[in-house]
Amino acid sequence: MKREILLTLIFVATLFSCNTSQTKNQEQTKITIGFLDLLQDETLAQAKKGFFNALKDNGFDDKNLDIIYRNAQNDQPTLQQACDYLVSQPVELIATNPTLSTITAVQKTKKIPVFMMVSPRPDIARLTDANGKSPSNLFGVYETLEYIDTSVMLIKTVLPSAKKIGTIFNQSEPQSMDALKRIESECAKLGIELEKLPVNSSNETQLVVGALLNKKIDAFFALPDNVVFSSMEVIVKSCDAAHVPVFTSEEGLVKRGAVAAFGADMYEWGYQSGVQASQFLKTKLTTGLQPEIVKSRRRVFNEEKAKQYLLKFDSSFVPVK
Amino acid sequence: MNFYLSAILLGLGFASLALGIFISMRIFNIPDITTDGSFTLGGAVTAVLLSDHTSLPLVLLVAFLCGALAGSITGIIHTKLKVNALLAGILVMTALYSINLSIMGRSNIPLINIDTIFNRLPFISDSISQEIFILLSFSLLLWLIVSWLLKTDFGLAMRATGNNENMIRALGVNTDRMKILGIALANGLIAMSGFLITQIQGFADINMGIGIVILGLGSVMIGEIFLKMIRVHKIGWHLLGVIAGSIVFRLILAFALSIGIDALYLKLVVAVFVLIVVSIPNLKRAS
Repeated sequence: MKREILLTLIFVATLFSCNTSQTKNQEQTKITIGFLDLLQDETLAQAKKGFFNALKDNGFDDKNLDIIYRNAQNDQPTLQQACDYLVSQPVELIATNPTLSTITAVQKTKKIPVFMMVSPRPDIARLTDANGKSPSNLFGVYETLEYIDTSVMLIKTVLPSAKKIGTIFNQSEPQSMDALKRIESECAKLGIELEKLPVNSSNETQLVVGALLNKKIDAFFALPDNVVFSSMEVIVKSCDAAHVPVFTSEEGLVKRGAVAAFGADMYEWGYQSGVQASQFLKTKLTTGLQPEIVKSRRRVFNEEKAKQYLLKFDSSFVPVK
Repeated sequence: MNFYLSAILLGLGFASLALGIFISMRIFNIPDITTDGSFTLGGAVTAVLLSDHTSLPLVLLVAFLCGALAGSITGIIHTKLKVNALLAGILVMTALYSINLSIMGRSNIPLINIDTIFNRLPFISDSISQEIFILLSFSLLLWLIVSWLLKTDFGLAMRATGNNENMIRALGVNTDRMKILGIALANGLIAMSGFLITQIQGFADINMGIGIVILGLGSVMIGEIFLKMIRVHKIGWHLLGVIAGSIVFRLILAFALSIGIDALYLKLVVAVFVLIVVSIPNLKRAS
């Protein structure tokens, strides 16, 4: 009995001592910022890299900036507590990546500026109030879904013979459902038949893509969706085996095996948000800052895949490695 | 708000979940996977009704009843259709995914400018104190009611069903009905946890329940440790231990988040800490 009490006391003491020693070591001259990430993902990590590089390019590096990075490892209660932690620290701002982190941060704090990336326009995420105003502490860079229309049109330009397109979507992600609606209306306009199947997690992808390929699609469209991001390699492998090219709206996926895309570069998205954040850190004022739409969208293609499928891309397309 | 205080409050929000899992796990020896679905169901219903400005007591009642309905379906599938308890839970959880999506209409509903349970009291102005007061009173009330319920004849019969089904059936209790009611009660409590957590975090998300059964089981197991320490076997203390387990689990995660380890190792560190906590009482025996 005594040993248990003693061990519990030691445990509790370590718990509290660790917390206080951290605050003592924080230097007074360094600025602290927080970064709230939802999961480990190669494509989303590009935005994080862009954000940190933007800070560095604007004069904020290890010497004057402390970054508290927390990743919830795709667990929602952990996301809550990670955000609680960031809010409890003397952070000047909280950068959030992707959508769910943004929603969590905005609900946790009304004072600390939140700089979002890889998130939709606030009204699309239902973060605006009855008057259409987004939270006053929300800044950063968002995307609407108009670029998806252009991406789908790409298919018609590059592969005019395409009659049927297949796509998978994830019902549990709002941007996936919104993207699907846009693809449906765009395909209807272009007269292309769309075969769509829902997928819930990345271990179902192979089966679902196989089912789509059985329907003899001419091309596959990978929409912006965390399940697609995490199982892109499986999608590419299955489609290559059936000689079906993969088109997408995300540049990061072109590097991983899609043929072409028109969309926001994740790195540039994070970079643009980082530039806005740097401006705030320099002036400490949020006047003039508001959520802005992602600026850098471009047409990209994968040279190797283009050769494989004998597709031609003109000079308006940028090759990516 | 102090970081560890918010962890304790989140633990109190999950107390109802832990109590529900305690009932299904300890009383029925059935790890109820329905939890993942009924927790989200409670949250979904809460978000939709609160966005519609429904009165809070009604929202709480509806959340409880929805969870109880889901639980009773699991119970019926298990007892009447003779399906294995685990599979029954998995089936209902899978079905609830679609039901929750259709209730919410979208995968995520943020609560913007909505009156939650945490801003109704006129006599406390500070929002943090309100949250503490509401969660403490809610958990206290819950503990008292569930303790009382499990000490009534009905409650004792329910506990006996999990302990020795053949014996209690020989004494004339309808064990099928007991199981259905018990799992319904458990999932009603779990849905109430969904009700609270949705308001604490300010949104309901279709994935908020994923893995939540493990969180509940962990809380119950950690609670058992406290009971081994104080060596009391009354049901009231059992339930208190379970609630404490829920809080300790959140505090362990809070500690892991605050020491700033590499994000990759977060889950490993949490597992190690929980292992340390649950093996403390066993060290004495080993030596």
